[in-house]
Amino acid sequence: MDDSVHSRPRVPETLGTQTLNFTLNGEPRTLEVAPNAVLLDVLREQLGLGGTKKGCDHGQCGACTVHVDGQAMNSCLRLAVMCEGQQVTTVEGLARDGELHPVQQNFLECDAYQCGYCTPGQMMSATALLNDERIGTDDASVKEAMSGNICRCGAYKNIVEAIQRSRAQLGYDATRKEGAA
Amino acid sequence: MNDMTRPDFDKPRVVGQRTPRIDGEFKLTGRAGYTGELHVDGMLYGYPVPATIANGVLESLDLDAARAMPGVVDIFHHGHFEALHRSPNSMAHGDMVNEVRLPFEDERIYYHGQYVALVVAETFEQARAAAQRVVARYREERGAVVSLLQTEAEGTLQESAGSTRGDPEAAFGGAEVKVDSTYHIAAESHLQMEMHATLAEWRDAGKRLVVHESTQGVFFQRNAMARVFGLAQENLEVISHYIGSGFGNKLFMWPHSVATAVAARMIGRPVKVVLPRQQDMTSGGNRPASRQRIRLGADRSGKLTSVIHDSTTETSLVHQYVDTCGSATPSFYACDNVSTSQRVLEVNHGTPCPMRAPGEVSGIFALETAMDELAVALEMDPVELRLKNNAEQDPASGLPWSSKHLDECLTSAAKRFGWEQRNPAIGSMRDGDEIIGYGMASCTWSAGRQPCEARVELRADGSLFAACGTQDIGTGTYTIVAQAVAELTGAELSRIEVKLGETSLPAGPLSGGSMATATVLPAVAAAARDALDAIKEVAVGSGGAFEGSDPDSLAAQAGGLTDGERRVSFEEILETSKLSSVNGQGSAAPGDERSEYAFRSFGAHFVEVRIDPEISRVRVTRVVSSIDIGRAINPPTARNQVEGGIVMGVGMGLLEKLDYDPRDARLINANVADYIVPTHADAPEIDVELLDYPDFKHNEFGGRGVGEIGLTGVASAIANAIYHATGKRHRDLPITIEALLASS
Repeated sequence: MDDSVHSRPRVPETLGTQTLNFTLNGEPRTLEVAPNAVLLDVLREQLGLGGTKKGCDHGQCGACTVHVDGQAMNSCLRLAVMCEGQQVTTVEGLARDGELHPVQQNFLECDAYQCGYCTPGQMMSATALLNDERIGTDDASVKEAMSGNICRCGAYKNIVEAIQRSRAQLGYDATRKEGAA
Repeated sequence: MNDMTRPDFDKPRVVGQRTPRIDGEFKLTGRAGYTGELHVDGMLYGYPVPATIANGVLESLDLDAARAMPGVVDIFHHGHFEALHRSPNSMAHGDMVNEVRLPFEDERIYYHGQYVALVVAETFEQARAAAQRVVARYREERGAVVSLLQTEAEGTLQESAGSTRGDPEAAFGGAEVKVDSTYHIAAESHLQMEMHATLAEWRDAGKRLVVHESTQGVFFQRNAMARVFGLAQENLEVISHYIGSGFGNKLFMWPHSVATAVAARMIGRPVKVVLPRQQDMTSGGNRPASRQRIRLGADRSGKLTSVIHDSTTETSLVHQYVDTCGSATPSFYACDNVSTSQRVLEVNHGTPCPMRAPGEVSGIFALETAMDELAVALEMDPVELRLKNNAEQDPASGLPWSSKHLDECLTSAAKRFGWEQRNPAIGSMRDGDEIIGYGMASCTWSAGRQPCEARVELRADGSLFAACGTQDIGTGTYTIVAQAVAELTGAELSRIEVKLGETSLPAGPLSGGSMATATVLPAVAAAARDALDAIKEVAVGSGGAFEGSDPDSLAAQAGGLTDGERRVSFEEILETSKLSSVNGQGSAAPGDERSEYAFRSFGAHFVEVRIDPEISRVRVTRVVSSIDIGRAINPPTARNQVEGGIVMGVGMGLLEKLDYDPRDARLINANVADYIVPTHADAPEIDVELLDYPDFKHNEFGGRGVGEIGLTGVASAIANAIYHATGKRHRDLPITIEALLASS
């Protein structure tokens, strides 16, 4: 084969910063961020909030799931500057006053993890789906809704058990029907 | 008086009891601190540049544009790197590596993803952006070996990886019933959730190196780095407190670690590299593809007369890795005539390495599928065939098993599964539009043990401290160490602090091979006993809490010592004698029992598949397993590992395949969407029973390890269930929808 040159995508020569105002785990924050900085990297590298994990950087594994204005989102697919004026919640914001959130407590008691690396993303998706009326309350609906969060250790059975226990304890969904999705 | 220094391990109080992970709160609140999220002052970010061809020569690197990018500090490559030494790569001497070739060692490109440069910049964004501006010019060459699965090449025979007993060829020739089948398994990715990561920091003017690495073996990493950098091991520290799992590809050092440490030294600032997922998949390990031929001979009653297992697996052009498929085969069934052979073929891939149940999981797929074929040929129930050939002693060594209950696993799991309702006729079981298939397979993994050291402190503040230089990769090692200390001292679990994952701690084993539990706990127990001896010495000494007593009359009880009438807590004893702590050291190693018994775990998986023939969709809907692992030290975490192995087995059976471009050997699907692993929706209903037969011949705790066995046999049970449903024998993994369509 002949000589080959693999060219690379072009990016701006100079990258300054931009001011970002947003609310993080209930606290108003103002940051200078690079325009090409991804929310996930700003959380992990600039703010030192390592609970939100990087597993693929392509929106394929769910480890980086956070809540943006209450919606579960892949923080690896969001530029930080897109969060202007928004409320961002990470796993560090789940526990209140030193008390584990019921979802965290049930993950602990059901052994709903092994290595723990996908776990923050699993819990952020779990807390969002428990509040999402579009998603049925039966196991099959939960599994379908949670399928954006890969657990390579394969602790899926215990994760679903932890979510369903949390549902019962939180008193959600009393009026919802099975299979509503 | 119950002397807890010699606990009754037939009736332990803490060991064997459900114990929530002591590190759980750290993982659940985001405070755990995995390597990639650590920071040190002045730290820079590295981003590797991977080769975009799989075979050829790097002719030039144009770095001008990248160097001009904001924040770039330096760019390392073949022409700009330190002269280093290779590691001797010895398992016995603890410096084995996953790829002996050093980064940027020459300008030849051996595989797609091989690092051609490392860009280092002030921020992650700057390093990534600049890495994308590096222009590499290659002379690509024809003739890349794309895959073992796309060539007839035989590979090189590995004499030491094979074995023969009896005369298997003659016995096969004369057998009344024969199976002769060839099986292929695609290369797989570990796809551990946390990518490889290194944070390297030189201290003391470049004389001392501290490395945070996501590794399954801090001591192996330290030793290998010492060899590569020509440093005294004592001047190196490797730390790995939390690991986003490994499944084998974090056992030994990879080139990214070396490149990171070199960059840190040459720049004079700490450098962190987290491999992007694509590079983790191309260059951070894989399970090599395999081609296996199995020949089984049996008499009409189903008794095996010959087993011949010939395997070939891939290795890379820069490292020799042998994924021995036949290592379980000589011990699996009672048969006088057995041979295994192993060949290795060099391909243009990133270097393969151990992946969960390395070699054996591939071999057991082939063997257990062949056994199903034999059962069909004999018109015999596959469970009955296995019971008939059950090996009452280890046929490979001739030694008695330390403890084996495969027969109970087979009958118990069959009963819970409802195997007696199976109609053996092909496609005979239906539910609406779906065809139901039932299949089963046995599973096994060897039970090894290594030497280990540990340390236990009893402290005046009431806390206890246990330390060992092994790791917790998610299997629950932190927790079982605390359980062992609690068992021996009677102290509350909440008072016990456990430290793992540092080379400054007493030498501990790799977290691999399902050996950590049996290796670490006896050493921890020895250290705890030594600590109790130390505090007894204090207690009976001048001014002590039990001054003048015979130390042998004292026993540990509830985190203190008792003479049978009076209990004094450890902290009171230490305060009375104005001491901060006492320290116990312990070590443990396998002994003569290894030449007296054979050690191996066995179990059985039963699988239900449902197939929609209209759209060629197969689902694994139910898995029922019984596994004998000796004693489960912490039953929920042990069961979790078996369940996780089963989920991974669904991936191996139906989904997972690294896809190499037949034109140029580039890895096509190096991402988490195109390399398919099981999700929540793919996970079947799982019922795992752990038999409870503590194996005290293996170690005093009775546990044999549990990490690998759950995965073995699952893919075969799935293939056998699909045969039952469709009549089509699938001998190649994964059994994709395309393979099902081709067979319908």
